[in-house]
Amino acid sequence: MSILQEIKNAVRSRSIHVAYVDVGSCNGCDIEVLACLAPRYDIEQYGIYVHNNPREADVLLVIGSVTPQWVDKLRDIWEKIPEPKAAVAIGNCPISGCVYARRGTLTTPPVENYIPIAAQVPGCPPRPTEILSAILSVAPLIYKDYEEKHR
Amino acid sequence: MRSIVYYLREFFRPEWVRKFFFAKTAPLVAPSYFKDYPSLTGKECTQCLTCMMICPAPGAIAVLHKKGGWEPEIYPGHCIRCGLCVEACPEGVLSSGRILDVTSRDRTAFSSWYRLQVDDTLCMRCGNCCVSCPVNREVDPQLAGTGTSASDEVIMRIEGGRVTILHEEKCTGCKTCENNCPNRAIRVARMVEGIQGEEEAEA
Amino acid sequence: MKKTVDVSIPLGPVHPCWKEPVRIKCETAGERVLRTEVELGYMKKGIERIMRGRPWQEVMFLAERVCGICSVIHNMVFIEAMEEISEIAVPPRAAYLRVIVNELDRMASHILANFSYCYTIEHETLAMYLLNTRETVLDNLERLTGSRINTAYMIPGGVRFDLLPEDAAAMLADLSKVEDEMRRYTGMFETGPLIALRSKGIGVMDREEAIRAHTVGPTARASGVVCDLRLRHPTYRELGFTQVTRTEGDNFARIMVRFQEVFQSIDLIRKCIETLPDGPIRGGGLCRAGETSYAGEAPRGELTYSIKTDEYGRVVDIAIRTPSIMNIEACAHSMIRDVTSIADVTSTFISSDPCIACNER
Ligand code: SF4
Ligand code: SF4
Ligand code: SF4
Ligand code: SF4
Repeated sequence: MSILQEIKNAVRSRSIHVAYVDVGSCNGCDIEVLACLAPRYDIEQYGIYVHNNPREADVLLVIGSVTPQWVDKLRDIWEKIPEPKAAVAIGNCPISGCVYARRGTLTTPPVENYIPIAAQVPGCPPRPTEILSAILSVAPLIYKDYEEKHR
Repeated sequence: MRSIVYYLREFFRPEWVRKFFFAKTAPLVAPSYFKDYPSLTGKECTQCLTCMMICPAPGAIAVLHKKGGWEPEIYPGHCIRCGLCVEACPEGVLSSGRILDVTSRDRTAFSSWYRLQVDDTLCMRCGNCCVSCPVNREVDPQLAGTGTSASDEVIMRIEGGRVTILHEEKCTGCKTCENNCPNRAIRVARMVEGIQGEEEAEA
Repeated sequence: MKKTVDVSIPLGPVHPCWKEPVRIKCETAGERVLRTEVELGYMKKGIERIMRGRPWQEVMFLAERVCGICSVIHNMVFIEAMEEISEIAVPPRAAYLRVIVNELDRMASHILANFSYCYTIEHETLAMYLLNTRETVLDNLERLTGSRINTAYMIPGGVRFDLLPEDAAAMLADLSKVEDEMRRYTGMFETGPLIALRSKGIGVMDREEAIRAHTVGPTARASGVVCDLRLRHPTYRELGFTQVTRTEGDNFARIMVRFQEVFQSIDLIRKCIETLPDGPIRGGGLCRAGETSYAGEAPRGELTYSIKTDEYGRVVDIAIRTPSIMNIEACAHSMIRDVTSIADVTSTFISSDPCIACNER
């Protein structure tokens, strides 16, 4: 492993940019992601920055079961994120559709059908600590030795 | 000017200064009263299916036959951690947060009834519901393919060309009949009542 | 006067300032916004369609998930509508506990709305303070109901869990802490000169316009309209509730109304805990057939459930009218119009506390 790669690993582990996209949720998971920003959980002390800009993101948090409007747009957003990237499904909605996956629904879960999902955080909504540990656990797997693996 | 004083006061509070220099928050644990995914208490499950029938999330809980007998299983990713199954289970098989303590202290419970309803204008007399019903099959294994039965103990049977409901109280509310009906003529109503105190003894 | 449109700027659906997808198209002349149009429909899940033919214990959870931020009031309005249909009486202790949970949820929602506003005008210090205070409120909600959001606390004929005396004491202690903190933050907000520059006199909606646009909730109250449905709710009447109004009708007033309502909620909860009657928390009772339309005051305004049930208590037909749609339209057509900078479009929109999830369902 080259020294350059090691430096990259070290820097990347302290600088994870997160964007979240709401593809038809109830808002419960959105505000739990926001709550991670609160000084009590203090997501930034781990080097995770939450902002809502896919162009500079590393991790995409997908929230919600997919509504008709988002079927094609979700893919577009995913393609705008620069490599290396990972998507984390937050809440039951992107995993199974939660209570919306019933007769008469307009949603088409799961999100895995549209973009690759690296990790899932079940719960309705999950606690901020669960979200936090999921992001922290998925990030090293994706970014460690990225250049070495993808030569 | 007033605002500058405000900000200075804000940033010279000892609490703030302390927080500024020791930023790392302690690892946070979920408090004991948090309703997490229901876990098993080890009591024996009687396979009454009350938990499955009250669960509001699709595919969240299933009562499965394991080595040691029946056992409910919770599927994270489907379960919304509402805790209704914990409250509804008459045997106390499931536990989550402090729901069990609270319900046993306040003597609160849910009691449920199931009602069957057949719309005669939609029903085609195919007998699918009578044949598919697991309770029916247990009572009368020789239930005919047309839904007629010699036994008086079945929940429903085809009698004189129409579905007759005999023992509504035996229904477990599983909705198998509803799902097997080609016309959605038979509908199962799950009625739930939240109760407290003396009523619990008789329910 | 002939207005020339320079350029049409779309904001959203994925925008750093909004939590939920919505698109605002602004037609501008220079920096001045001439006309705006709100494009909704990114979150349509068809909840009302799913609700049909289901019993209360399933619809209740769907109702809660119409909006996760103000989930308690959706639960409360749906359950009280069912109680009105089936003539189920609520024990007094349960009615008071409902008010406590509802007000805790309202506090959390208002603090979150003010957080978003402060975040949008880039006052991150105050925003983070508010968010941390919200955690304390949610702690109390969790101690009573067992979950932070989507609490599923009310059922026909009562509530699910009782408030223990030691929890009540802890709640009172936390409330004083929250009150202290909120007083400090309200002072910061009121006196901050930069905040005043970004908020005072921006996005003004006067009383006539607010009435004409049928705005509801804090947005209307900031323009001096009397429209709080808690004035009509029997339990709140017992507690002696009075509504908060301001007359300025600008962004500053809308945020201040929410700050003041937080203090009011704290007082209401204190009064509830002091006068909490003894007795059962569940009365039982089955849901029956009937039809009704029931309204309650959500953190964002008036919320109406029109429900029709069959003889087994299943919901046959349901229509939900959520507060945000009125406020969003009013926001687009009277507040944002003639805003002098694009940056103020986002902050004005956020100041009306739009909830996209609940208004598309
Ligand atoms: S998982 Fe639950 S809380 Fe999260 S968005 Fe879906 S319904 Fe809301
Ligand atoms: S906690 Fe609620 S959602 Fe989960 S299995 Fe039990 S009843 Fe179903
Ligand atoms: S309600 Fe309890 S006893 Fe009945 S099937 Fe479920 S876990 Fe078993
Ligand atoms: S719901 Fe239908 S299939 Fe299930 S037990 Fe009752 S009658 Fe039988």
